[in-house]
Amino acid sequence: MNKWFKHIGIAIALLFSVTAFAHDGAEHEHDAQANNGQIWSQLKAGAEGYTTSTSEFHAQPINTYDLRVLELRSDLLAPALMAALFGMIIIFIVFIKVNGISKLHGGFSGKLVYRWSKFDVSIHWLGAIPCLLLILTGLTLLAGRFFFQPYIGEGLWSNLVYAAKQVHDFMAIPFMLGWALMTALWAKNQLPKMYDVKWMMVVGGYINFGPFKGKHPDAGFANAGEKLWFWAFAVFGLVISASGMLLLFPNLFEPSRTLSLIALVLHSVSAIIITAFSIVHIFMATVMSEGGMECMVSGYCDETWATQHHNLWFDEIKENGTLKYKE
Amino acid sequence: MATMKFLCDTKRCIECNGCVTACKNENDSALEWGIQRRRVVTINDGEKGEASISIACMHCSDAPCMAVCPANCFYKTEDGIVLHDKDTCIGCGYCLYACPFGAPQFPQGGAFGARGKMDKCTFCAGGPEENHSDAERQKYGANRVAEGKLPMCAELCATKSLLAGDAEIVSAIFRERVAYRGSKNAIWG
Amino acid sequence: MQLTRKSNTATTVEKKTLGISRRQFMKQAGITSGGIAAVSLLGTGMMRRAEAKDVPHNAPTEIKRTVCSACAVGCGLYAEVQNGVWTGQEPAFDHPFNAGGHCAKGAALREHGHGEKRLKYPMKLVDGKWKKLSWEQALNEVGDQMLDIRKESGPDSLYFMGSAKFSNEGCYMYRKFAAMWGTNNVDHSARICHSTTVAGVANTWGYGAQTNSFNDIQNANAIFFIGANPAEAHPVAMQHIMIAKERNNAKLIVVDPRFTRTAAHADLHCGLRPGTDIPFIYGMLWHIFENGWEDKTFIQERVFEMESIRVEAKKFPPKEVAHITGCSEEEVYQAAKLMADNRPGTVVWCMGGTQHHVGNANTRAYCILQLALGNMGVKGGGTNIFRGHDNVQGATDLGLLFDTLPGYYGLKTGSWKHWSHVWDLDFDWVKNRFDQTSYLGRIPMNTPGIPCSRWHDGVLETPEKLAQKDRIRMAFFWGQSVNTETRQRDVRDALDKMDTVVVVDPFPTMAGVMHRRQNGVYLLPACTQFETEGSVSNSGRSQQWREKVIEPLFESKTDLEIMYRLSQKLGFADEFTKRIGKDANDVLVIEDITREINRGMWTIGMSGQSPERLKLHTQNWGTFSNKTLEAVGGPAKGDTYGLPWPCWGTPEQKHPGTQILYNTHKHVLEGGGNFRARFGVEYKGENLLAEGSYSVGSEIQDGYPEFTAAMLKQLGWWDELTATEKAEAEGRNWKTDLSGGIQRVAMKHGCIPYGNAKARCIVWTFPDAVPVHREPLYTPRRDLVSKYPTYDDMQVHRLPTLYKSIQEKDTAAKYPLGLTSGRLVEYEGGGEESRSNPWLAELQQEMFVEINPADAADRAIRDGDTVWLEGAEGGRIKIKAMVTPRVKPGVTWMPYHFAGEMHGESLAANYPEGTVPYVIGESANTALTYGYDPVTQMQETKASLCQIVKA
Repeated sequence: MNKWFKHIGIAIALLFSVTAFAHDGAEHEHDAQANNGQIWSQLKAGAEGYTTSTSEFHAQPINTYDLRVLELRSDLLAPALMAALFGMIIIFIVFIKVNGISKLHGGFSGKLVYRWSKFDVSIHWLGAIPCLLLILTGLTLLAGRFFFQPYIGEGLWSNLVYAAKQVHDFMAIPFMLGWALMTALWAKNQLPKMYDVKWMMVVGGYINFGPFKGKHPDAGFANAGEKLWFWAFAVFGLVISASGMLLLFPNLFEPSRTLSLIALVLHSVSAIIITAFSIVHIFMATVMSEGGMECMVSGYCDETWATQHHNLWFDEIKENGTLKYKE
Repeated sequence: MATMKFLCDTKRCIECNGCVTACKNENDSALEWGIQRRRVVTINDGEKGEASISIACMHCSDAPCMAVCPANCFYKTEDGIVLHDKDTCIGCGYCLYACPFGAPQFPQGGAFGARGKMDKCTFCAGGPEENHSDAERQKYGANRVAEGKLPMCAELCATKSLLAGDAEIVSAIFRERVAYRGSKNAIWG
Repeated sequence: MQLTRKSNTATTVEKKTLGISRRQFMKQAGITSGGIAAVSLLGTGMMRRAEAKDVPHNAPTEIKRTVCSACAVGCGLYAEVQNGVWTGQEPAFDHPFNAGGHCAKGAALREHGHGEKRLKYPMKLVDGKWKKLSWEQALNEVGDQMLDIRKESGPDSLYFMGSAKFSNEGCYMYRKFAAMWGTNNVDHSARICHSTTVAGVANTWGYGAQTNSFNDIQNANAIFFIGANPAEAHPVAMQHIMIAKERNNAKLIVVDPRFTRTAAHADLHCGLRPGTDIPFIYGMLWHIFENGWEDKTFIQERVFEMESIRVEAKKFPPKEVAHITGCSEEEVYQAAKLMADNRPGTVVWCMGGTQHHVGNANTRAYCILQLALGNMGVKGGGTNIFRGHDNVQGATDLGLLFDTLPGYYGLKTGSWKHWSHVWDLDFDWVKNRFDQTSYLGRIPMNTPGIPCSRWHDGVLETPEKLAQKDRIRMAFFWGQSVNTETRQRDVRDALDKMDTVVVVDPFPTMAGVMHRRQNGVYLLPACTQFETEGSVSNSGRSQQWREKVIEPLFESKTDLEIMYRLSQKLGFADEFTKRIGKDANDVLVIEDITREINRGMWTIGMSGQSPERLKLHTQNWGTFSNKTLEAVGGPAKGDTYGLPWPCWGTPEQKHPGTQILYNTHKHVLEGGGNFRARFGVEYKGENLLAEGSYSVGSEIQDGYPEFTAAMLKQLGWWDELTATEKAEAEGRNWKTDLSGGIQRVAMKHGCIPYGNAKARCIVWTFPDAVPVHREPLYTPRRDLVSKYPTYDDMQVHRLPTLYKSIQEKDTAAKYPLGLTSGRLVEYEGGGEESRSNPWLAELQQEMFVEINPADAADRAIRDGDTVWLEGAEGGRIKIKAMVTPRVKPGVTWMPYHFAGEMHGESLAANYPEGTVPYVIGESANTALTYGYDPVTQMQETKASLCQIVKA
């Protein structure tokens, strides 16, 4: 950390030269002249002045901020995002190898229960596809230079990173739309209930060994894991969208440079969390939970799947007569 | 190896903007209206304590722009000059956020008024293209360093306020000046 | 973390050169086919030449030594030319004036080689449309109209506005051109620049020029700036000032209504009210006399009538000074004390001192301060009067003025005889070129013409009130921006009223576009000084020889060629160029003009600066010291750089030039001197010659009058002349002896040709013998008008001039804010050229007025707001407000470089296609008002009134 301060310090000292010579002739000077020490402290405090340049931020000679941001990004956030993506995948593969997947007890019933509207399915994918692309391109932008660039050619790298930036910029819009719709429309089904605690205690019953084996905790429309994912997605989706907007439309919001850097960090942190959850979510839906994927394809789920994973919901719709089977 | 630096002596800077137009002149081929690689800022303008200072890329020893660039388009020459590759630059603007001196600038271009390729002071050392090639001149401007010359801004400074060159030589010149000014306790560092 | 690239050879990614683009094609077309093909391809007004970026880097490079054209510091630089294109500009670290330094304008000089917004070919306004002409047709039409007007209204109905941008040769020939045409209606911007200095200072001690040099300021222990802001107007001068400050701990005192960039480096800033310089100086003198700080020996030996000043200074005790100037008593005391305690000190002034209706008195007051302190004729002292344009010193020296022939000879018959003699012309022929009738008791040939500041009055005034046959009916605006003249509405009316307007300039300039005419305007493209060669004088009187950098761009021609061709058309070419050779292409040999200048300019010693010597200096500028300006070795060993005049005698005498005027510590042959015996030997029975003071080596060890043939005979030195010298010198004096013999013999005996006298504190030929404080015509202090009133209205030369009738009207109630004007570092003069330079224009894109936060708050104006500023005569301009503490409450300040808008309306449509500068704006002079110095007709631009309201 000190390294940064030291080197920036040298640059600044060379620029202004006043730190080193705080006393040059000060005592002979009349009021009209600036005292070097005063100039220096004003500049360090980020004083702004008059300039003929019309470029942004040019009125301020020095913008100071905590330079640890830079190492935070390179040393912590970049590897963390790599871990969130590839680490989670590896963990899941290992887990499935050891644990196996959650099979439907008694196989598919063949009867498909209405669970999601066509609109719900489409907003899911409106968010999901851009989300996947954003994760991949975002990873390239945050961590690519450390993890990919050394292994690929210069020309390929510049094309790759350029494409990543373009895709990232364009995908941001549908993603935010999807996020906003999902968050707004689905929240009422995602409110936490008491039985969610029990669900958590047994990790949803997905673990096929030890004391957890064979448990099937209660779950409503959404189980506790899904609720956790939903709320994480809602909150960090907000953070990532807001910070992303600042970075994408600097001319619109005119953020300060420090705010932009903070946005950058928050964007990365949110990305790490969303990425990790996304991997879990994808694995759960596609591999782990047999029959889960069907929900976001047709909007219907197998009756067995419904009773096994969302028993309370199934009981409820049966009771109030909203249960609907696919024709 | 030399470590190239700029030094602006605020006691001498008079905000004549010679450095600014020297840069525009020398790097004319790469610059457009509105992009000033160097600027002079006057604090306490019109009041007691007024002081002017000329600022551009400071070619930091451990440059924040290099650290933060997603495209890793920056590189450092043997002389300690921080340069960048406009072909790799993606116009994200992170270097602008990270730079304490506001050196990177972006022409407008692309969708939603997005930023174009970043431009900044090259210490009159061109870019990654072949020295003095057309491509280098169009993208980065002059390459005086390859001709054994120093940046135009400092060479043309009216009052010799802005100095450029090897850090040791530059600081020696400044030290001598301070000695003439009758400084006490003039200790470097 | 990867911070350094792994390989040094960076890979080049995708070179996007798929075939040839339209843009590239156009570029190449511009180089290879040039002229016609390029024009047909790009259309008129889009004609372009090869630019730097079109020239391969490895094309062979020629290095030219040239001199910046922005101001009178005279910064040298190396211009790099490849394939005839100005591709590079390198600092001349070895140049004695600037050591490679440049301000914004100098650093952007290479743009002259682009000239994107230049006038491309001769044009004429026909029914409101610009029409292209051939040179031949243009000169024929212009010449015919001149001759017609001459026939009807006499030669004085032509006006020749000249330029401080000409080379010395151009200035000289332009003045000669007007003389051959038969009029004194010739002038240039020195009128509105330092004319009051020239008059005031020359009448104090002999010459009206900067007495020392920029480099000599390094020797000063105190530097007193009054109405001067070198940080913005002469930035490279600050190099020397900073050295004095750092090495000598020199004290900087800035007296200026604004807290300028110079004030930021000062030890003391006194923010006086505009137009109160004289009370301020008397306030200082009050302390000096009161405390006995004056240099009594110096005054006794070398100053005439300091007693009158003592009497006058008594009237300005501290309290009264504070009351008038707005500076505190302590500030005035400190200024006096710093100057008294830190000698030698130098006084620097510029437009802030000169551009007043009491300008000549201001400049005399500054001189008197230096005389009282004994700071004259010494290293580090003197009055360092910074001139503005790059050759305004030369233009002034060469008589490009309404009241004198070259060399300050004046307009007396004897002066005309001298110059006729120099020109090898019959005096009667010259005389007959003029209108022989007398008007209002004045004979045109011997009466100053109409000044640059008031040419429009020469158009608008009724002919009966003018001391000439008729009003001005046709004018040349040759390298002059009319937007630098006050009362722009009258300027516009005058442009409308004339028969014909001729603009000769690289740019269309305001004379070409601000009128409301449909016909009768000619635009003739002159090239810049970088497209020709010739000598140029800097403020410190040093001359340099500018090499030609590039060939004239487009169809432009050199000033000299245009003058010569016009003289051919008008039928006096033979007389005009009698002693000047022509080359195979019938182009004047410029060196012959320089030699003719040497032949006639004895008064100021511009006689020893032959073209060969000037070229030698310029080619070897690296051998001259940046500290002393002297060459310690090399081919010009012993000379002072640029042979600052007086460079006495003939070139063969090898006088080294005079860096410091009136310096008795040196032999005349080494650049020594003393005050000039210009005003006779006695006044009212009192001796005007020096007493016991003389320059080193003088055989006459006391004061002596100026040298004449008779005086040489009296002294018994006559026979030291050669036979040919005797033949020439007989009956002549040091000023008119073309052999230089009288000067040679005088100097051989250690005597200065112009005599040895005292400087005088009273000028009995001026309206005020001693400087008298007079409130500005438009003053915010009505309470002081009765005590310090202005002059009565009077006739000055050919024009009636108003004073009291303006001051009597109380305008301060309606216009409560003081208004003053000044410079921006990025622009120069009227700004047509610098606002057409994109590198400069980008830095100052809008015209503005500086207003104090208190005044702004009263008017609900915020920084950056658009406001209407109305001058005290009703001129309104729409500009931006800059709310800043740079100006005190009650004072506003505007830069004067803008033009191209008037009363809120753009004039862009009036420019020929492709010539609108990058930046246009309202001219400050639209709001500025009446007021002229009675001696020189200097305009008042520094003390007026206005009101500002939010737009």
